[in-house]
Amino acid sequence: MSSFTLYQPRDSGLHRLHPLTKLTLTLCGVATAVVLPGFWPNYLLFALFLLPLAAWGQIVCPLLRAVWPIWWPFVLSLFLVQGLFWPGGTPIVTLGPLSFKQEGVLFATAMAGRILVLIGSFLLLSLATRPDALMNALTARGLSHKLAYIILAAIQIVPRFQAKAETITAAQQSRGLETQGNLLRRARALLPLLGPLILSSLMDVEERAIALEARGFGRRTLRTSLILLSEQPWEKGVRALLLLATAVLILARTVLALR
Amino acid sequence: MERIKKDFTTLTLVMIPVAIAINVAVGQLVILLKLPLYLDSIGTVLVGLLAGPWAGAITGTISNLVWSITGLFPQAWAWAHVAAIIGIFAGLFGRFFKRTPWLWFAGGLATGITAALLSAPVSAYIYGGVTGTGQDFIVGLFRATGASIIESTLGQGIVSDPLDKFVTFLLVFLVVLGLPRRFLLRFPRSENVT
Repeated sequence: MSSFTLYQPRDSGLHRLHPLTKLTLTLCGVATAVVLPGFWPNYLLFALFLLPLAAWGQIVCPLLRAVWPIWWPFVLSLFLVQGLFWPGGTPIVTLGPLSFKQEGVLFATAMAGRILVLIGSFLLLSLATRPDALMNALTARGLSHKLAYIILAAIQIVPRFQAKAETITAAQQSRGLETQGNLLRRARALLPLLGPLILSSLMDVEERAIALEARGFGRRTLRTSLILLSEQPWEKGVRALLLLATAVLILARTVLALR
Repeated sequence: MERIKKDFTTLTLVMIPVAIAINVAVGQLVILLKLPLYLDSIGTVLVGLLAGPWAGAITGTISNLVWSITGLFPQAWAWAHVAAIIGIFAGLFGRFFKRTPWLWFAGGLATGITAALLSAPVSAYIYGGVTGTGQDFIVGLFRATGASIIESTLGQGIVSDPLDKFVTFLLVFLVVLGLPRRFLLRFPRSENVT
């Protein structure tokens, strides 16, 4: 099945965890990254929490490879925007008319750490969890199966659309459409590319709807699933502990902020 | 409540994942063309127009959640509420689509301003004022004038978003004009467009 997820199949403890446990890990990681103050904590969180988990799942390399291309544009922007243009900061390095300000660089470093954990938490989830298993776990907890269908269908359709977009671009270029050059020329290429892409994709929507109805999509009965999820007896405890720790952290941070 | 139930037909539910795929594919096409726009909510606006504001809201929200859980664009979850508002606005302004198209286009501008107001605090307070895209250049310009982080992200949004959403609403207008009436009539809010 081609799909645009990053899922890496491995036979590891992390992969065997119940999807809800991994989702809880990610959400707690995100919440913690946002409330952790200061310079170092987020880098420590990444090194001492996310990386060991990735090592357990045998996905350290895929994780770093996935984090890097998303992280570095943030880092670049942070240092340029906040480092160079921090109003009224103390200059530390001067480059011609511009200079890096101490306050801006500190802020950029702290924020880069937070973004590292934000990105890493989600990528850890997507590398180690099959989306259909995650949706299965969520529907078992009361998520509507229609919403689960929307999410899984989207994940499957996207790569087909990307291929279609490439085909259309190649076809229009072979007819002489220019996709390079000045802004006006590139803007004019937009409609000949978008039109066929959107119109052709809408055309099979109706057939899909009829096919789903014919297979009992709208019925309100108990559904069975092809994927069996297993859960270790201690996982419930781990989830509760994670949520509790995150709640305490958020509370502590709020109290400190209000003081 | 009755109206919401009527909006979520099987056709709507099938349309939503296709719209999400349109959001992704067109968003990437725009990056390829190096245009100073996002155009990553064409599908959301289309669903809002054809199936009502709530279906539009669901499309936007799930678009961003799908980007996050698949790891394609993990930072997107933080802007899910902005995507939802875009779908809601498309649904609300949909009634003007046929009779008074200029109000539909004005709806695009209003959506852009609202999106800018809602997304600025997210980039300012969660991501330190940047999004890791070329748009950060504009944030830098505002910072250079001495503006605070939230003022800069707000300024960047006000510069970029209304134009982007106006072009989105315009493209949806052109696409819908190109769709056969027989197809449009099947949607729950077909009265908007036929």
